[in-house]
Amino acid sequence: MAAIQKENVARLIEFLEESRARKDDVTLNDVMGLAEVMARSMRDYIDAVQPAVTQELMEISGEICRMKQEIAQLRATDIKENRIPEAGRELDAIVEATESATHTIMEAAETIMSADPEDTGTYQVVVQHKIMEIFEACAFQDITGQRISKVVGTLNYIDERVNSFVKRLRMDEYADVPVEETEEERRRRELILHGPQLAGEGVSQEDVDAMLEVFAQDDIDKLFG
Amino acid sequence: MALDLQMPVLVVDDYKTMIRIIRNLLKQLGFEDVDDAADGTEALEKMKQRKYGLVISDWNMEPMTGYELLKQVRADAGLCKTPFIMVTAESKTENVIAAKKAGVNNYIVKPFNAQTLKGKIDAVFSD
Repeated sequence: MAAIQKENVARLIEFLEESRARKDDVTLNDVMGLAEVMARSMRDYIDAVQPAVTQELMEISGEICRMKQEIAQLRATDIKENRIPEAGRELDAIVEATESATHTIMEAAETIMSADPEDTGTYQVVVQHKIMEIFEACAFQDITGQRISKVVGTLNYIDERVNSFVKRLRMDEYADVPVEETEEERRRRELILHGPQLAGEGVSQEDVDAMLEVFAQDDIDKLFG
Repeated sequence: MALDLQMPVLVVDDYKTMIRIIRNLLKQLGFEDVDDAADGTEALEKMKQRKYGLVISDWNMEPMTGYELLKQVRADAGLCKTPFIMVTAESKTENVIAAKKAGVNNYIVKPFNAQTLKGKIDAVFSD
């Protein structure tokens, strides 16, 4: 009967020693690497006893190679190290620009509010000057619009890569697998934190007024049982 | 309860610009004594040190939200009568109902204007 060849055993031992020496967490790559080594190590032995099993192992080996290619196509390192940090910097710049513009506009408005309208000449100069400042500050919208387009481009890029990855690995059936609620998600659910709604979603001020008027405390208590 | 423009008003929001906007609107409406806090925890501490005539609070803040602040205020015998207006971008029906159940006096959806703010303050003090 054929036995596992010495060189294959040596390769397996070498792989395990390397993994132990690294002392890192086991990665998907490690698992796939081990599977490949194991599959190759067993091939000669199984080839002798059962050709069908060999064929199965060949297919597994092929599938592992295909998965490795798909993972490479995902370009996870590029997404993690370049694209997401870049999108984060763009968003920070947007926050900074909108804050700065808001500050300028509010300061101009406050100056106008506190100017003395009795002193007509000075008042006109102050108002005209501050209105120009407000116009200038509004230019932030053009730049932030361009920055937002870049962030949207990054999100679309990630969306395409991940969707393609899921389809090629035929993982769609796992799409609805329930995931454990995170601490942050639990907080948001319990404290009813949805954030701003888009146009057409949520309720308007008129709806709120109607609800507060119609709902007596007793009615609300009934809703909550 | 009569509306008194001299009463101290506490504005609670984690966004400094929104505090500034509400401050200016209140000033335009005649309120001079306006204080602010960056979240529910700070607001509660201030409310225990000073009696405010009105609290205008955002909902979404950390660590303590406006919703939690409202519930704590209503549960405190010394603070429970303080008029409380929620000013928030949280505009789902369940938010409005939860706030009403917790004892909010009025609810303003962001973005809002001076007329809405004035209308809701007037409504609270005419009840």
